[in-house]
Amino acid sequence: MIETAHIVDAKGLACPMPIVRTRKAMKELVPGDVLEVLATDKGSTADIKAWAAGSGHAYLGTETEENVLHHFIKKDSAQAEVKKEIPVIDLAAFVKKMQEEQLTIVDVREQQEFDAEHVPGALHIPLNEVEARMDELNKEETIYLICQTGRRSGIAGIRLAENGFNNVLNVVPGMTDWTKQTMKRGNES
Amino acid sequence: MTNRTAIIAANGELFDAYKVFNIATAAAASEHEVTIFFTFEGLNLIHKQAFQQLPLPAGKEHFAEGFKQANVPEIPELIEMAQELGVKFIACQMTMDVMGLEESAFVDGIEVGGAVTFLEFAKEADVTLTF
Repeated sequence: MIETAHIVDAKGLACPMPIVRTRKAMKELVPGDVLEVLATDKGSTADIKAWAAGSGHAYLGTETEENVLHHFIKKDSAQAEVKKEIPVIDLAAFVKKMQEEQLTIVDVREQQEFDAEHVPGALHIPLNEVEARMDELNKEETIYLICQTGRRSGIAGIRLAENGFNNVLNVVPGMTDWTKQTMKRGNES
Repeated sequence: MTNRTAIIAANGELFDAYKVFNIATAAAASEHEVTIFFTFEGLNLIHKQAFQQLPLPAGKEHFAEGFKQANVPEIPELIEMAQELGVKFIACQMTMDVMGLEESAFVDGIEVGGAVTFLEFAKEADVTLTF
């Protein structure tokens, strides 16, 4: 979690600190930027939602990993804009397809998550770098995006779609189920 | 999109301080224009010495540990944050006169005024709270 410009670490902080920190960080972003807020305060989900609605930002969702809440908020974006969603592919269908053909897979999680385990052959581009590294991807290809639960990959997909990538699929639910039901690390080729 | 939040702080224990400053900072962080009117025991909350060691309510002393565990900010820290966020503090002149307190006894950056100063702000407020 190095990208300080787009991540607020409010872990271990009580109300109202997560909101105060969020507001401070949001001020420094430009419209359309996505801010990720890490928090352990269980009340922060409702607070962030209300805060975003009240301040004109779009609450994209919350992903929970090991008791840490990851909230995603898009700056100055009307609610309507985030309704836009990219098509999803079920994890099982994705795995089947992988066995049939060579796919372009992009894992948008953080470095340590990727290092712990990832889909064989996946390209690693953390969510915060997606915008900057788009030119590494081919607009003509079908791109499969994966993260832990499908939340971050969904956001990455919207980013790509906004930039002319028309063949993007979000793998849902992502690595959380991959770890449980499919191949274990030892099977990587 | 600015809203106004008007708060009266009339009590001076630790719980009161958290109620007042949590709401005030949250409102300010949500781009509300916030003014707090400190009156009677409420003045403890911005008194340079008193606010360092506000008492827990009688019988609730055991919550001290909980405050530590929950990692809630200290009151002076919350005050500083509130001021950074633009929350305006008004100390009640009348109470100060009754208690023989000078403006220098309070944190920097406060205003001293009477009830009317607060009411002028509060009459246009969207949210009005009393603690």
